[in-house]
Amino acid sequence: MNASFLLFTLLNTGFILLVSPLFMSLIKKVKASTQGRKGPNLLQSYFDLRKLMKKEVIYSPNSSGIMRITPYLNLAVLILASLFVPIVFIPEAPAGIGNIIVFLYLLAIERFFTALCGLDAGSTFGGMGSSRLMSLSAVIEPTMVIAFAALAYVLKTVNFHEMFAITAGSTIPKSPTLTLISISLFIIIIVETGRIPVDNPATHLELTMINEAMILEQSGKNLALIELAHAVKQTILMAVLINILAPWGLATKVTFAGLAVSCLYFLVKASLLAGVIGLFESSIAKMRLFRLPSFYMMAFFFSALTILMEVFA
Amino acid sequence: MNSTKNITGSLSPAGLKLRDNCQISVNPAVLETQYATDLMIDISGTKPQIRRGKNGEFYIPLAEEEFLKIVPELSEKGFVLISLFCVQDFEESPCFTLFYIFRLNGSTDVFAFMRYVKTETTSIATLFPSACWYEREIRDGFGIEFTDAFDKRRLFLHEVYPEGFHPLLKSFKNGKIQAVENPEEAYPFKQVGGEGVYQIPVGPVHAGIIEPGHFRFSVIGEPIFNLEIRLFYKHRGIEKLAEGKKTSACVPIAEAISGDETVANTVAFCTAVEKIAGIEVPERANYLRGILLELERIYSHMGDLSGMITDIGFPRMTTPFLILRENIFRQNELLTGSRFMRGAIDLGGVKKEISGEALSKLNLYLKTFVLQFESAIEAVHASSSLIDRFSTTGVLKKKLIAPLNITGPIARAAGATYDVRFDHPYGIYEDITPERAIKTAGDVLSRFEVKAAEVINSTSLIKKLIASIPEGAIISETIEFAISNIPDGYVLSMVEAARGQNLHWIYIRRGVIDRYKVRTASFCNWQAVEHAVLGNIVPDFPLINKSLNLSYAGTDL
Repeated sequence: MNASFLLFTLLNTGFILLVSPLFMSLIKKVKASTQGRKGPNLLQSYFDLRKLMKKEVIYSPNSSGIMRITPYLNLAVLILASLFVPIVFIPEAPAGIGNIIVFLYLLAIERFFTALCGLDAGSTFGGMGSSRLMSLSAVIEPTMVIAFAALAYVLKTVNFHEMFAITAGSTIPKSPTLTLISISLFIIIIVETGRIPVDNPATHLELTMINEAMILEQSGKNLALIELAHAVKQTILMAVLINILAPWGLATKVTFAGLAVSCLYFLVKASLLAGVIGLFESSIAKMRLFRLPSFYMMAFFFSALTILMEVFA
Repeated sequence: MNSTKNITGSLSPAGLKLRDNCQISVNPAVLETQYATDLMIDISGTKPQIRRGKNGEFYIPLAEEEFLKIVPELSEKGFVLISLFCVQDFEESPCFTLFYIFRLNGSTDVFAFMRYVKTETTSIATLFPSACWYEREIRDGFGIEFTDAFDKRRLFLHEVYPEGFHPLLKSFKNGKIQAVENPEEAYPFKQVGGEGVYQIPVGPVHAGIIEPGHFRFSVIGEPIFNLEIRLFYKHRGIEKLAEGKKTSACVPIAEAISGDETVANTVAFCTAVEKIAGIEVPERANYLRGILLELERIYSHMGDLSGMITDIGFPRMTTPFLILRENIFRQNELLTGSRFMRGAIDLGGVKKEISGEALSKLNLYLKTFVLQFESAIEAVHASSSLIDRFSTTGVLKKKLIAPLNITGPIARAAGATYDVRFDHPYGIYEDITPERAIKTAGDVLSRFEVKAAEVINSTSLIKKLIASIPEGAIISETIEFAISNIPDGYVLSMVEAARGQNLHWIYIRRGVIDRYKVRTASFCNWQAVEHAVLGNIVPDFPLINKSLNLSYAGTDL
């Protein structure tokens, strides 16, 4: 392991952990303002995490070790996945880091354990959420594979680091087809973070939940870790989209100025994207559960279209 | 004027032969009883004894064999069972008197068949499904067994109440009771089986700020193929509480039946007492009552409209409705001093004068309200994702409406026309009626549309009332004398609350209330949800439930 990668690990992970909760609050704030409300403080997500960290963890007597390890495991998996998506600068990474197939599997592990965890306590709603998540995953996973395949085809590499090295430095997307893929990536963000029209993160109606249902049994520190993992996942997926669609400013060499510019640019771009997500969520109603595959199919369509266009171009 | 209207109304059903006689001038009272007698002869073949109640309802005491003969006939003729309740010691009778209250579509008449029973009797629930809950309620309250009933489970007294505990018996005195710990017999829900079939128990404790209710879903994957509800977790004993009280002391009890039906229930209670005591409510008071009743309907419907949109995860669309609802609450407070209009209605009229200035302010506000409301509704219609969720969801079939006595906007969204304000007019509705809003699809979208139209119709009615409200007293001058010298008697009074038909029956004996029976629309409408969800998917349940807007408090008195 070289020094550049060690520095990257510390900085990239630290930065993502630090800013992720901010985007959660930001989306809430945007949604609130479309509803004519003031909305929460931008630091509210941090306050919530601090509050939850101090609280006692309660386990159901029916639960097993899954319930206990999932919060740690999920956060660990997502921190590992965050190394695949450079935000501060593009390091010389060891083999395997940045591979999009490994990245997809890391997300699958997180999803798998979340679903197990939902089943673990034996409550009504957890199992319901898990079964819904698994059914929908059967549709969204192929879609993600196609989207990333399209990305790989356009940029001629299966490594995120190399992709971003190609796109970085240009002010507009390298290829027009990348804009089409960006639509797919945006839909993937919405789906993977359980936002409207897929799931309503603000609801209290257990019967309508997917993601929230699986974590209903979590409490205290474990809940804080799960919430943080969720925020990290959102930031990673946002970073993928940003680095493809609006790549300017990402440092390719380690200089202090370069790092600062990278971080600052990312903050601005991600805040804008969070705003767009908030507006998108406010513009439509949640879809019927059985209509969701057609929403995923839009992502599938744009990715498949990209591949076709690249093949015949 | 009113009596003529009543005659034409009475004659409309079933095209009876009396229609021709109508041309001949006869004393209306005689004619009406004659009509009821003829109808009864037509049904049962014998001439029953008919008494006219003080609110125009017909009381028909029947011997057991007559009753058994008449029930299938009533079912065949399309009579709707709107209530069934038990009274002990009615007119010094040594047994229990069961009152079966029926109405007929298109008629303003209400028939109360009286059946005299000891501790055992037979059920009519196979012919009139809405009787099921009433019979279980009577079993819990009085200990009367309906021996051939298909459902003999407990209703409002759950298993923790001891065996033989029947609080509505006159012999029962209020006091501490010993709750049964770990009751042996659990409430038997309908069991389902088969591959991939499972049950989802939900409640009675819910995540939102709502009242307790247990929902037992039987599902195959997501589609629901059976739903059973269990309510009555917060029984308050309102009917027992009223017994032995003076009528004036009972007004706050009527107000507390259901928070957002305060005005409707109080008006129904006061109307009943006024009929017994022969009190004439001053014109101005009737107008004011009408305004408050319609304001209550507006804010209640606004809550539903915003709730439906919230439940499909579209908070941005909800906000305009919430803001308008809040503004109506503030108008309520300006008019009556209470956002929920508590303490506004009193026996003989209204408690506090509402100044002409306040009314014209309300009139002015309603103009802005209608504009903003219409633009909010327009935005709803423009959103395809929203319409997609509402349309075809939770269809309530029209054929269920009469057997289950489903009333209110949810029935009118499924093609029914029944509305107490038209069919049994009371107070101001005898002279002025709002426009009707009727849809036929019976889905969530129709319920949304009907409620939205009713909000507009209510505002127009309020404007009309404000424009023509007369000056004068707001409470009957002889009220105190009339109330303290109230004669013995009983009367049935009905109102159209925001949720539908509310029914109050009062029996006054020796100047105090001997029996007070309340049946709000929700008691019947709750059973609609069990049918409306069938074939829908679990995540659509909250929306369907919200669109039906059922009151827990109004059911569990």
